Amino acid sequence: MSGERNKEELMTQYLLSIILFSLFFGGTVLMFIPNSRPMLVRGVAVGASSISLLASFYLLYAFDYQQGGFQFVERYQWAPNIGISFYLGVDGIAVPLVLASSILIFAGIFVSWHIQDRTKEFYIFLLILAAATVGVYVSLDLFFLYFFYEMSVIPMYLLIGVWGSHTKNYLESKDPNKDSPRFFFNFTANSKEYAAMKLVLFLSAGAMVALLGILLIYSRSGIYSFDLIALSKVPEGQYGKMLVSVIWLLVFFGFASIAPLWPMHSWSPVGHASAPAATSMLHAGVLMKLGHFSIIRVAFFLFPEATREWMPLAALLCIGSIVYGGLVALFQRDTKYVIGYSSSSHMGYIFLGMAALNTISLTGAVLYMFAHALATGLLFAMAGWVYDQTHTRDIPSLGGLSKKMPFVTGAFIVAVAASFGLPLTVNFVGELMIVVGSWEVYPKTTIIAVLGICVTLCYLFLMMRGVFFGEMKAAYAHVRDATPWHDRLPLILMLACSLYYGIFPSRFIHVIRSGVIPLIDRIHKIAPLLSQAGQAGGF
Amino acid sequence: MTPLNLADIDLSLLAPELWMTLLACVVLSIDFAFPKVNKRSLAYLSMAGMGLISLQLVYYFASAKSGLLFNGMFALDALAIFFKLFVLLATILIVLSSVDYINKIKFFRGEYYFLLLFTVLGMMFMASANDLLSIYITLEFSTFGFYILVTYLREDPRSNEAGIKFFILGVLTSALIIYGISLIYGATGTILLSHLAQMKPSVGVIIGLMFVFIGLGYKIGAVPFHAWIPDVYEGAPTPVTSFLSIAPKGAAFAIILRVILLTFGGMRSDWTWFIVGLSALSMTYGNIVAIAQKNMKRLLAYSGIAQIGNILIGLAAGTRMGVDSILFYLLAYLFANIGAFAVVIIVSNLTAKDDIETLAGLNRRSPFLAFSLLIFLLSLAGVPPLGGFIAKLYIFTAAVNQNLFFLVIVGLINVVISMYYYLVVVKKIYISEPTDPTPISVSPALQAVVYISLIGVLALGIYPKPFIDWSVSATGIFANLLPR
Repeated sequence: MSGERNKEELMTQYLLSIILFSLFFGGTVLMFIPNSRPMLVRGVAVGASSISLLASFYLLYAFDYQQGGFQFVERYQWAPNIGISFYLGVDGIAVPLVLASSILIFAGIFVSWHIQDRTKEFYIFLLILAAATVGVYVSLDLFFLYFFYEMSVIPMYLLIGVWGSHTKNYLESKDPNKDSPRFFFNFTANSKEYAAMKLVLFLSAGAMVALLGILLIYSRSGIYSFDLIALSKVPEGQYGKMLVSVIWLLVFFGFASIAPLWPMHSWSPVGHASAPAATSMLHAGVLMKLGHFSIIRVAFFLFPEATREWMPLAALLCIGSIVYGGLVALFQRDTKYVIGYSSSSHMGYIFLGMAALNTISLTGAVLYMFAHALATGLLFAMAGWVYDQTHTRDIPSLGGLSKKMPFVTGAFIVAVAASFGLPLTVNFVGELMIVVGSWEVYPKTTIIAVLGICVTLCYLFLMMRGVFFGEMKAAYAHVRDATPWHDRLPLILMLACSLYYGIFPSRFIHVIRSGVIPLIDRIHKIAPLLSQAGQAGGF
Repeated sequence: MTPLNLADIDLSLLAPELWMTLLACVVLSIDFAFPKVNKRSLAYLSMAGMGLISLQLVYYFASAKSGLLFNGMFALDALAIFFKLFVLLATILIVLSSVDYINKIKFFRGEYYFLLLFTVLGMMFMASANDLLSIYITLEFSTFGFYILVTYLREDPRSNEAGIKFFILGVLTSALIIYGISLIYGATGTILLSHLAQMKPSVGVIIGLMFVFIGLGYKIGAVPFHAWIPDVYEGAPTPVTSFLSIAPKGAAFAIILRVILLTFGGMRSDWTWFIVGLSALSMTYGNIVAIAQKNMKRLLAYSGIAQIGNILIGLAAGTRMGVDSILFYLLAYLFANIGAFAVVIIVSNLTAKDDIETLAGLNRRSPFLAFSLLIFLLSLAGVPPLGGFIAKLYIFTAAVNQNLFFLVIVGLINVVISMYYYLVVVKKIYISEPTDPTPISVSPALQAVVYISLIGVLALGIYPKPFIDWSVSATGIFANLLPR
């Protein structure tokens, strides 16, 4: 009896390490398996990711939202001279994102089941990518947050560069100089190498801006530590008025570039489009949320006053994201570009929810991050499936695939519905909370955002009609549906989560609120108890 | 001056150098006496000898042995031991990477190892040089061996050209240093660093110091004193290039730390601007020119120039943390650089070329080598979880603490630039298809080098604490001298 309890305690104590290191460990084990045994490679990848998936579900239900704060804390000394410790812990904001990462890596491994070329390397880089994103979400040490953040960038280069695909215009281009730097601004005729390089350089540049902010926090806080909890206790006056603004802007724009906030978004659709399906899923699903999350974790958490002062800037820029992303998506002819631009546009909603700085909208924003991960993951998974079958992403040349792939079409319709926030999907809950919460603060922006949802509807329906309905081309008579269990499992998993948490979102909302409320209270300098009583009726 | 009395001298302080001299002579004698002996055994003998000397040095380090010899000319302290170990570690890896390469050389295969050991001896003395004259002599001593080693491929015109360039610039450097020393001596009347530390700064000292630093700048290859680096790197036999790119730079940093910080640390405000300029120029120039390179050795040469720029940030910070980060950075650079050169050696042993093009499709030919080179290049670029990342972060942190925002911003921009050309190589390795798809088989010696470097790079990145502690205890002599 006591042994069992000990086991459970042990599990709880090391839960975050299990989630994080099962993925790293899986990647390491794969290095020693030869490429000639693809089933073993897939088996190890599935094993590693299912451990982290189960542990993440356990995390969601074991998280005590009444207690709130940071839970499952683990701390180990790492480099005490420079004030770094390996410090893990999650609050209500991180929990759903950890779960989203675990769901997407698990689904992504199944989605890329048919990759033949260098399977082992593919899964190694995919697992490292997923592990790095989880690492950001669970870090309570600023150094490790950045460490994992940077670490997630390089696997993207290889995943896109080696296993990605060129755009149609690039393949058809007869120009002998199509690889020359002259083509640097030619967004629709890019090769996968170009997309990969652009992504890495943009993200690295953003990371360097954020790093400058982080180093300033470290040296000017006066405590020479990267410990986020300790840093949050340093009053903002310690840095000086001017410096706080500088640091806040560095951190904000550094991390917003991965989010991606307009006008720093141009790497993102290009990267989405060229990446293989599983990479796009992780990229759109969780990698982009690293930006929002890091802004919340660093800028909101450490500098509540500067956040209050500067966050209206995000409310302004997010209009650019919503409107520009939506309108550009409307005119794309490439399936992945449509989904890519739709993602950039939807990221604007999250920024809107963050900018309103109240409990409802921020809770909605975090919930929407989770919801968007599932919906976009689904869309990319199926765009990838269509590409695998037809070898094109060009919407006009596709059509009528619903006859050949009824299951994929059905899943796609639900994913589209989730993407524009149909009730019963978790996206709806998130979107509604964002709109309701930000209406009080930014009514005009909210109206634009709601109109943006209509645009979302247009481009998603246009794409759906173009790909799955209408006349079927004879060339695609050979395509097949996702019939084997390993092709259906990831779609069913994501659909199930999206619908289940759409119908029963209360657990999520409680968990997220437990992380959001103290943050908002800090920002508005309200005594914690009072606000809970005042806002409890809100939802 | 008191006459030299051997009884008063604690020769154990000098023991590693004496053993090294013996080892070099033994290797040479065996080669002369038994010309038929397999040269491979000479390599293993040298490595075993250096391993034993390293163990002795580790023991010295652990027991905190220190002292002065010959009226303060020769200093043995934690800093000196660190750099001696650094040079020995680099040399052991270089000897290991030379074992197979040496078959390419037609003449004097045995002397090759002797010359390496002889050069290392010079560099070990450099680490302990404690007055201006011994600095000059040890610098010369360590360079002599290189003049020959660089031209070892004597039928290759590029190797000869490299040798001539290296020699002429080396001589010029010596002239500058000795001129600088004479200015300092003229202004102060002493050459002992401990005496100089107590002198008031004067114009003569500052100008002399500048000349000395320009000379040292040649040794480490900082812009604008870098001109010899790409050509010499390209022409020299690749293991020698690898050696040249790390060991003398490390030893030169021992002297730089001693002269600039330990002795003239009080005059920081007079020389910081100079270091800041060198650092920013080196980083920017090295990284931008590296983009255009088609030859892997030249690419690593320019990347090395940029890395030196990064290391100089720590010097410009001029704090205890800055010095610690310099030592840590050198360690990270050692593993990543020697590892990268080892892969280049393996590939060029097959193709007899060092072009980046020859690396195309390496992933298909040898996944292990491709992955290793990926790790080494990413460590040089400064990507977590590798040693280079921690090193860069450490050095930038030291600079931010000292408000060197200009350098930090230039450094951060350069990280992004460097990412580009390292990734171009990664693209060749992973994305391009090989022209010749035959798998590459790696000899055990080179495989060992790659493994050791790989472990080093990963260990420095994943668990840097022991290495940071090591750097911190090696810089104990700066404890009361420099701000934290």
